[in-house]
Amino acid sequence: MRGAIAAIAVNTVRDAVRNRVLYILVFFSLVMIGTSVVLATLSYVERARILQDVGLGAIRFFGAAIAIFMGVNLIHREVERRTIYTILSKPVTRASFLAGKYLGLVATLWLQLAIMMLAFVLVSLASGAALGAGHAIALGLVAVELAVVVAFATLFSSFATPFLAACYSVGLYLVGHLTRDLRALGAGSESEVFAQTAVWIHRVFPDLSALNRTIEAVHGLPIPPPEVGWALVAGLAWCLGFLLVAVVVFERRDFR
Amino acid sequence: MEGETIVRVEGLVKDFRPGFGLTKRRVLHGITFEVRRGEIFGFIGPNGAGKTTTLKVLMGLIRASAGRAELLGHAVSESEFRREIGFAPESPYFYEFLTGREILSFYARLCDVAPAQIAARVDAVLGEVGLSHAGDARLRTYSKGMLQRIGIAQAIVHDPAVIFLDEPMSGLDPVGRKEIRDLIVRLNAQGKTVFMNTHILSDVEMICDRVAIIVKGRIAYQGALDGFPGERKLFDVTLASLPPDFVEEVEAQLGTKLDGRGERVTLRLAEKEMNELVQAALVRGARIEEIVRHRDDLETLFLRAVEESR
Repeated sequence: MRGAIAAIAVNTVRDAVRNRVLYILVFFSLVMIGTSVVLATLSYVERARILQDVGLGAIRFFGAAIAIFMGVNLIHREVERRTIYTILSKPVTRASFLAGKYLGLVATLWLQLAIMMLAFVLVSLASGAALGAGHAIALGLVAVELAVVVAFATLFSSFATPFLAACYSVGLYLVGHLTRDLRALGAGSESEVFAQTAVWIHRVFPDLSALNRTIEAVHGLPIPPPEVGWALVAGLAWCLGFLLVAVVVFERRDFR
Repeated sequence: MEGETIVRVEGLVKDFRPGFGLTKRRVLHGITFEVRRGEIFGFIGPNGAGKTTTLKVLMGLIRASAGRAELLGHAVSESEFRREIGFAPESPYFYEFLTGREILSFYARLCDVAPAQIAARVDAVLGEVGLSHAGDARLRTYSKGMLQRIGIAQAIVHDPAVIFLDEPMSGLDPVGRKEIRDLIVRLNAQGKTVFMNTHILSDVEMICDRVAIIVKGRIAYQGALDGFPGERKLFDVTLASLPPDFVEEVEAQLGTKLDGRGERVTLRLAEKEMNELVQAALVRGARIEEIVRHRDDLETLFLRAVEESR
């Protein structure tokens, strides 16, 4: 079973890196990181912070965009192209297939993330902007966030068309970044119903803002290790949770 | 082991729920058939009869609504035994950025072929399907015929005991069809059981041992290609050197004029009439050149089955 998962993951990476569409998206992200240099020159103060803020923002935005774009097509393309027929007729369980595709896509995204990180580091060094452990933590958490985004995009891809899966994924991504603010808003509200609803939304939906430490990294603020540890555990749990639901949905599906 | 049941389908029912699933459409109405080890089995039927749906149930791609389907004694929902089967879908499409060699290596790994044997096995299979020259070319550059052959190659790369082929000759020119037919016969000669879904009856007649005809989700016939049900026992008798008075006698008896008068005539007769004619011809000094059992061809049977289902 592990052999099949590894073979599918490697094949997914190989198929993805030979697809030119991805290079276009990575190219745009690199252009955006490069543009941060231009934007920083527009300001007389805190040029380094603006440069890194824009650079990290570009990495997170394009990373999530590529994750959703590839994730929502992950299963649909296999069914559409009927490649899934030849794979599932082999001694490969549906869970192994899903796990292999997921891991392959995460590996592909991390490869692209590494290219964007390298561009960010080079631009920072060339501009004299300081780099520290905070940047490494922030970028590491971006990697975890991408794994979560791929997990829920894979779940939606297991039962919906790419368009609907993309709508659901973008929606969940946005909600995931707002749940913490919503909870804070609820805590300050006089309405008990709103406060409780906000708490439940924060509990049910993934709190993606826990994986966003770019402000601390850019401003050189401390990032408490327990919070990083908790974010990693939560990120892993969300990935597993979404994938388990995806497997249950996928197991019941007919490939007509 | 010869004669052992490899595929057993009993009372298989499949319902689809189109749209929002409020109504259901039955596409398989409790079909039953079996395939035995070592045979080439033709599963034939008109478009929309349920051939591909049946095959997808056997491949675990869709779930049966009721009934039983077993391969090699295992329920089709199981996965491990699939090492022993190979499947080539109709008009296969693969990861087009990969080469023929890469895709076959990938499928070999999925089937747990030992890593040390994969390269040799891939080379052998590329040779078997006549694609040795194109192994390093990307699949996007392959023609339809080449993709059909790589589809069969991925089905046999792990040396399975049973091979399922969905419309293997579909869209191929006569040369391509013959090559695939020859390949199927070669695989069968190696001891592999072949299950073939097709609507090209001439191919079935040439290579299949037994067939099942499915019409509107029901099995209309299953059995060997000789002795179809409802077939009349007829003989084609060819006589030569007939005396003129004997010709007249025969014409009077059959109520028809014979072509070729006295030189060489061929008549299609029932068994009793054939016996009487042969005896009389021998007495009258005519020469019996040939007596051949006449058989309905598969097309006749197929069209009869379709007609009866209306």
